[in-house]
Amino acid sequence: MSRDATAPQLAPLRVAIVDDEPLARSYLRELLAAHDDVEIVAECANGIEAVKACADIKPDLLLLDIQMPKLDGFDVLELIGHAVPVIFVTAYDAFAVRAFEVHAVDFLLKPFGPERLAEALTRSRSRLGSADLQPVHRVLAEVRTGRAPLSRILIRDRADVHVIPVEKIDYIESQDDYVAVRVDGRSLLKEQTLSELAELLDPNRFVRIHRRYALNLTRLVRIEQSDTGSRTATLRDGTELPISRSGYARLRERL
Amino acid sequence: MHPVLSDRRYVLVYLLVWLLFGVLLAGGFEGTGERGLVSQLVFVPTTVAYALACLSTWYLCRVFPLESDASVWRALPVHALASALASGIWGITVSGWARLIDRLAGDIGAVRVQADRGPALFLLGMLLYSLATAVHYLLIAVEASRDAERRALELNLAAREAELRALRAQIDPHFMFNSLHSISALTTTDPVAARRMCLLLADFLRDTLRLGAHQRISLAEEFALAEQFLAIEQIRFGSRLRVERRAAEDVGTCLVPPLILQPLVENAVVHGVSQLVEGGTIHMTACRTTGLLTISLENPCDPERLRSRGVGLGLDVLRRRLAAQCGIADVVHVAEGVGRYRVELRLPVVTAV
Repeated sequence: MSRDATAPQLAPLRVAIVDDEPLARSYLRELLAAHDDVEIVAECANGIEAVKACADIKPDLLLLDIQMPKLDGFDVLELIGHAVPVIFVTAYDAFAVRAFEVHAVDFLLKPFGPERLAEALTRSRSRLGSADLQPVHRVLAEVRTGRAPLSRILIRDRADVHVIPVEKIDYIESQDDYVAVRVDGRSLLKEQTLSELAELLDPNRFVRIHRRYALNLTRLVRIEQSDTGSRTATLRDGTELPISRSGYARLRERL
Repeated sequence: MHPVLSDRRYVLVYLLVWLLFGVLLAGGFEGTGERGLVSQLVFVPTTVAYALACLSTWYLCRVFPLESDASVWRALPVHALASALASGIWGITVSGWARLIDRLAGDIGAVRVQADRGPALFLLGMLLYSLATAVHYLLIAVEASRDAERRALELNLAAREAELRALRAQIDPHFMFNSLHSISALTTTDPVAARRMCLLLADFLRDTLRLGAHQRISLAEEFALAEQFLAIEQIRFGSRLRVERRAAEDVGTCLVPPLILQPLVENAVVHGVSQLVEGGTIHMTACRTTGLLTISLENPCDPERLRSRGVGLGLDVLRRRLAAQCGIADVVHVAEGVGRYRVELRLPVVTAV
């Protein structure tokens, strides 16, 4: 097979295969076996397994199917947060544009042969050392702008993955570079700033009532004003959140 | 809108014809000479005015369309009354006009000219009104036939288009790409299975083309085709995709338009079972009650799935195709529950003679 002449000196490329079809996985395994400089460190049948594998094993490269149950390839990319180089593998050429928008190393269209895979591997080798890898959530945010608002938020909690429909969220609190998403009395941390996330949410549902808080309007019970003039929002579960002056103006626009 | 009033040129031509008629009428009553001139003065403007009144019969014609013998008998007294009324009003208008002329022009005999012709004018008025009614019915008939022609053409076009779209939609190219990828994967690991899949795919393609060319095929053939498709997908998805079929014994010979199940099984796989980590079972059933053949397809789906594009597309194409090709509407019924998706096709029972 096509083997790079310089390959022996390099550490093996640690690859994770992600595809929900067993045949597609075995095909990749077979083709990769011909590459001495590649080591398969994980084989995942769905996106959730892939996210776990990325957290535990930290592969050098993901061979990632796009259409999978629960989490698709783009969701996986968003969840693994730090940028693992990705080669997308799919039968749908319609995804090509989006794949390169999120800086995929390559895009393999099924069916593909060993030569095409070797080419993609070479390309990912050359990309490995380079520092042009941006945090994926930022890239995804750029891509998503102008698309329909998020209908769910994906959160990785170590190796656990939470898929949270936005209507279940009570409010979102900013914590420096993180946001705490409040759901069913629990707080889940996500590595993203509140400003970035707020832009992706439906403005008719979530209102930035304060620099630190975005509130799900359906949870709002009442607004109270204290003697000093500061306002407080009371939520259905009794939680009280401060409302800033500009936040109050935004709130009034929506109510 | 009245067809004559819809265009200024039509109005002009119509009034010109009546003007000419008015001139002839006035001349016919009194000839030339001084009395003739007075006659022109009395009858020409009133005839033109009556022309406009005659247009009103259009609305009566619309309300009383001539569709059957009974409707003719219903319309006849209405039109007789209308013509008598219109003609009577015309008579009164003419006499009033004549009086006005006499008063303004100093008794030039207009009233006398008009009074002589009273009964004749009434009969003539009724005749003219009836004539207008006949012409209007003719107009309506011409318009209706032109409408029907256009509708037939549109329907024909829609049918042709739906057929084309259906042909294109019969086989999803991604299904082909994924199947070829599976074959490519199997060639080294399991050559026997690879060959089997090649043959399955070939059979499916051939049968799709062959059956797709028919107007109607038996439900047994239709089911067999759907199962071929699912057998290929089962190789791809392995144990995640399971299929159960329950058909009553008397339905296999029923005739149905070809490839009506294809979009349903495709949706069930692409948007249903393949979106579940554990997979699921697709249930196909068919039964018939008096005159009605019910085919249903039910599959589990991810209750939290995002509304993907294309779910309704295949069904829309099917709906349009069934409406255009077979003239049957309201065939496709969708029921969505939490984690379940069910489509029912309700077709009239057709069997071979």
